[in-house]
Amino acid sequence: MLKDFLLPFTSYKYLLYQLTLREIKARYKQSFVGYAWVLLNPFAQLLVYSFVFSIVFHFPTNNVPYIVFLYAALLPWTLFQSSITSATQSLVDNSTLLKKVSFPREVIPYASVLSKIVDFGFSAFLFTGLAIVLRVPIAPTVFYIIPIFFIQLFLTTGIALVFSAFNLFYRDIQYLTNLLLMLWMYMTPIVYPLSLVPNKYVWLYKLNPTVGIIEGYRSALFGYPFEWTIIGWSAILSAVVFLMGYYLFKRSEKYFADIV
Amino acid sequence: MKPIIEFIHATKQYILQEDRTFKELIPSIVFRRPLSRKYKALNDLNFSIYEGETVGIVGKNGAGKSTILKLIAGVTYPSQGKVSIKGRVAPIIELGAGFHHELSGYENIFLNAAILGMHKLEIEQKVESIIAFSELENFIHVPIKKYSTGMQMRLAFAVAIHIDAPILLIDEVLAVGDEDFQKKCLQYLSELKKTHKKTIVFVSHAREAVEEFCDRALLIEEGRLVMDGSPKKVFAKYD
Repeated sequence: MLKDFLLPFTSYKYLLYQLTLREIKARYKQSFVGYAWVLLNPFAQLLVYSFVFSIVFHFPTNNVPYIVFLYAALLPWTLFQSSITSATQSLVDNSTLLKKVSFPREVIPYASVLSKIVDFGFSAFLFTGLAIVLRVPIAPTVFYIIPIFFIQLFLTTGIALVFSAFNLFYRDIQYLTNLLLMLWMYMTPIVYPLSLVPNKYVWLYKLNPTVGIIEGYRSALFGYPFEWTIIGWSAILSAVVFLMGYYLFKRSEKYFADIV
Repeated sequence: MKPIIEFIHATKQYILQEDRTFKELIPSIVFRRPLSRKYKALNDLNFSIYEGETVGIVGKNGAGKSTILKLIAGVTYPSQGKVSIKGRVAPIIELGAGFHHELSGYENIFLNAAILGMHKLEIEQKVESIIAFSELENFIHVPIKKYSTGMQMRLAFAVAIHIDAPILLIDEVLAVGDEDFQKKCLQYLSELKKTHKKTIVFVSHAREAVEEFCDRALLIEEGRLVMDGSPKKVFAKYD
């Protein structure tokens, strides 16, 4: 059981590496500015949002410049969103492999998620640069982003596994994913601070596991107090989502070659 | 001698899913139409292939040949009965599968070899020999979207034969590529055959190739094994 679970990182780790590499390389091979697109896209999005929400709306951000406040949340959100979108598509895109070669199928969506983590790493450099330029002090609690990152990773992978498998059966999933992620983004405190959510609904709002994750990143970076209850809730929910996703994926895996 | 590939009362039933979007699914549920039809691709198939044998699988389109290959490759499972395979299987994948057209031939060797189950060290040791066999030395750093179909096939074939697996599956791949390279492949396979170390399962319509190359042939019709014998006899019945 545990051995099967670890297979993508043991016997198949070179395959996982090659598929991840393929995802990354394929993206910049034919474009002019190449890999820079990975940074340019979210950066442009960042500028638009920060124009709209800092100049037009004016949100309270506890002395952190709005653009940095936003970036700290937009960065992990972009990772979440792009991982799920690309993983949902991944099995369909690799249908020829599903029909010909046997290997643990979860390697394919894992590779999608991993390649997005690489992008995330590059964007994180840009964030650091921005924080230095704008003289935003980074709190000593910054290392807490590591466990929070893993909570996010389990949630992302769990959803990625379910969606990628279901998309093989029904192609609606890929469209549904875009819709769902757009709604989900506005149900998460990314462009606005959590403090703006009306007190009456805040308990309900906090049931969303991405709230704990995004707030966790901000607390770690800017030294806001940690709300451990919501982070804990996110951790529990992420573990449940991952286990269920993995179970469903493995259950349906043996039919993949028959239905593609 | 023990069989390396064994089909025991193997039946494969596909579920033909007709609705691929909710637009079609929801009316089916509402009006209680059956969601799927069933289709038997293989029906109670029994045969064994022994170590070192070269066996051709012969039959018309839709007879169930690819399903047999899929079962041997381990990507699908029998609905009833049992398929037992002893050892690693190297499928010679049809054109393009597992290749990425934006990547160079060299990069694709590593990608494709990894997909077929090779490790980094193993590929590094064999990469020179793979390039040499493919005869693509001058184009190896060019993206394979610039390759002709024949060139892609040469690369795919060169990678596949370097896999250290006891079972080799070959699916119609020799139909593409130039004649000289086809000859080279068949020659290579014949050499391989003489060593009796590899078991080769060969699917082809090409009568000559099967007769020349295989020790045995299985004739499949509508998912059933109709004949199991020498290629000559099998083709006499097939025609």
